[in-house]
Amino acid sequence: MYILKSSIRNVTRNAGRNILIGMIVLVIAISSCIALSIKQSAKQLEATGLSNIQITGSISVDRQSLMTQAKASGTDVQSLMQENQDLTLAEMQNYATSQYVKDFYYTLSSSVSKGSGLEPVSTSKTTTTANATATTNQITSGQTTSGQTPTDNATKVDVPSGMGTQGDFTITGYSGENAMASFVSGTNQVTSGQVFSFDTADMTCLISEELATMNGLSVGSTIQVINPNATTEVYTLTVAGIYNTTTAATNSDNMRFSTASDPANQIYTSYNTLKAIGGQSISVATVGTDTNGNQTTTALRTQENGTYIFADMTAYENFKTDVTTMGLPTAYTVTSTDVTNYENSLLPLQNLNNFATIFLFLVLLIGGSILVVLNILSMRERKYEIGVLTAIGMKKKNVVIQFITEGFIVTILAILLGTGIGAVASVPITNALLSQQITSLQTKQSTQQSNFGRGGGGGSGQPGQAASVTYIQSISSATDITVVMELIGIGILLTVLSSCGAMVFILRYDPLNILSNRS
Amino acid sequence: MSVLKLENLSYTYHGEQKKVLDELNYDFENGKIYCIMGKSGAGKTTLLSLLSGLTTPTDGKIFFNEQDISHIDKYDYRNRMVGVIFQGYNLLPHLTAEENVQLSMDISGKIFPDKVHHGFKALSKVELGEEKATRRILKLSGGEQQRVAIARALSYDPEIILADEPTGNLDGETQEGIINIFKKLAHEENKCVIIVTHSPEVAKAADVLYELTSVS
Repeated sequence: MYILKSSIRNVTRNAGRNILIGMIVLVIAISSCIALSIKQSAKQLEATGLSNIQITGSISVDRQSLMTQAKASGTDVQSLMQENQDLTLAEMQNYATSQYVKDFYYTLSSSVSKGSGLEPVSTSKTTTTANATATTNQITSGQTTSGQTPTDNATKVDVPSGMGTQGDFTITGYSGENAMASFVSGTNQVTSGQVFSFDTADMTCLISEELATMNGLSVGSTIQVINPNATTEVYTLTVAGIYNTTTAATNSDNMRFSTASDPANQIYTSYNTLKAIGGQSISVATVGTDTNGNQTTTALRTQENGTYIFADMTAYENFKTDVTTMGLPTAYTVTSTDVTNYENSLLPLQNLNNFATIFLFLVLLIGGSILVVLNILSMRERKYEIGVLTAIGMKKKNVVIQFITEGFIVTILAILLGTGIGAVASVPITNALLSQQITSLQTKQSTQQSNFGRGGGGGSGQPGQAASVTYIQSISSATDITVVMELIGIGILLTVLSSCGAMVFILRYDPLNILSNRS
Repeated sequence: MSVLKLENLSYTYHGEQKKVLDELNYDFENGKIYCIMGKSGAGKTTLLSLLSGLTTPTDGKIFFNEQDISHIDKYDYRNRMVGVIFQGYNLLPHLTAEENVQLSMDISGKIFPDKVHHGFKALSKVELGEEKATRRILKLSGGEQQRVAIARALSYDPEIILADEPTGNLDGETQEGIINIFKKLAHEENKCVIIVTHSPEVAKAADVLYELTSVS
């Protein structure tokens, strides 16, 4: 007990020396607190960012794996692709029975061309050059926006076996309300009329306000869309509702290759309606063989997509292994754009995390070295005190404990003060550094875009480009109990480390030598 | 019965051939003042260091209450059994007189019902009042510091008091005061007081006088 009392007394009586040591520890503590807070934020966001939100995922062909497989086995990639087509709805529904799936919905999407009296919304310079003037059974033009040659007759359309011609509109059929994520999130909102029925193929749809205005359409109006592969196929849909979209169709317009990708040109309908259209198209399609011997068809190209909803990240991870046991071939993979986007959004923070690790290491190395030297100097200065204490019978072990306790008191006080300052400073400093990281990343991407002739447009860009990722812009709190505990750990480590030199001195000193030398 | 006994005690400095002390056989008893005199270099301070356990003899033994002190923990021996008054006082300057005294009591590990009161009492024995007792060491005169050193040595009630030139730099009046304290300790409190000194005045107060001669 007296050791603690003596230590406290010595700390207060030798303020100058202890303030000096305290200042060094304070600088270490503030720097470490900020670095650890950055690390903790990154760790927390990485670990918990997805844990509390629903995750959507899908199963798709793992092309990368197929290519590796093809390279290894020497087989043709194309044939491997043919063998591993996208999963059918039945297959997708089978995997949806996994216990980890919270919900499953599916969509059917296709691309259709404009029919009579319907013009797509477009700001692009490479828009449609000819209008379809088809009646139900007669088509005069089926111009596409992808620069393909206009054709007068569907039978003349040279359609590749696997891919269809791009139309003016994207039409998507949904299995249910939850599948319409943009309406669930509020990005899109029905402003007039109401949503179509999901249960029947009633040939009703939702169109955007812009499209409605441009074509003078209202609820109850009919629109005609055409199979871009066979312009004789005209389908009439009734407008059940008109929606307003807040999706930006802004600075990436000049990068868009098709009006079909314009948010205003999205036509929404039920899965059943689009399935019925697809079915009818197949029934009237012309099937042929191209010059390469591949089979061709003029049927409307449709793409089925299944989306699995998971309660959390754990369920998503479990699902990945569960589908393998359920028999999903290795050529398929489970992916989640939520997870990928989230991971990408963390990139600046992760860069900052790496920087913080190096910074922390340097601070501890340099700060620790200074403390060791200061403590050794301090021990030399206190040589007489050590001599007196041991001469009057204080055991060296107790002298060491007393000196270490003094170190702890100074260190802990400085660490607490440093943690307080660091905690306050960490959020604005982290956010400022994060902002610099984001700017740096965006500048790098912008330069890259520019170098490849994609034009300036710093943050916008091509689908699939990292620039389209919304980065985590700021953190709200960084210093938590873990950081405080880590800082206390650092304090203990620094004290023990810096006291090691002191301990050697104390254990080596002989009281008689010290006192007789002084005399 | 002797409280401290030297048996053929010899000492040679490390790395030297010549003995500083050669086969000393002294007996020290409670209730007496012993003075060890001798010229400079005769080994007076060395003998005191040996008696206080700060160094170990090259040959021979020291017995404390018939127990060989080489078998006793030197720190326990110094903080409980002997009270050493060093020539240079060896007080801690950042502490007050009272704190210096109390620190020794703490280190001894002995239990005192009222430690603060006991500390002040030890200081009052050497005629230092509360006002002086609460001053830092460097705010005290040489004589006062010497008294604090004595009070510190007495504070934990050791059987033996060892003093190295306790009146070295003091004026006559102060010297007399210090000698009286030692007399009181030996004759009234039955302590064994061993003083290493050059001073004839101190020697006069001794009950037993040992003369150290340089080993030729």
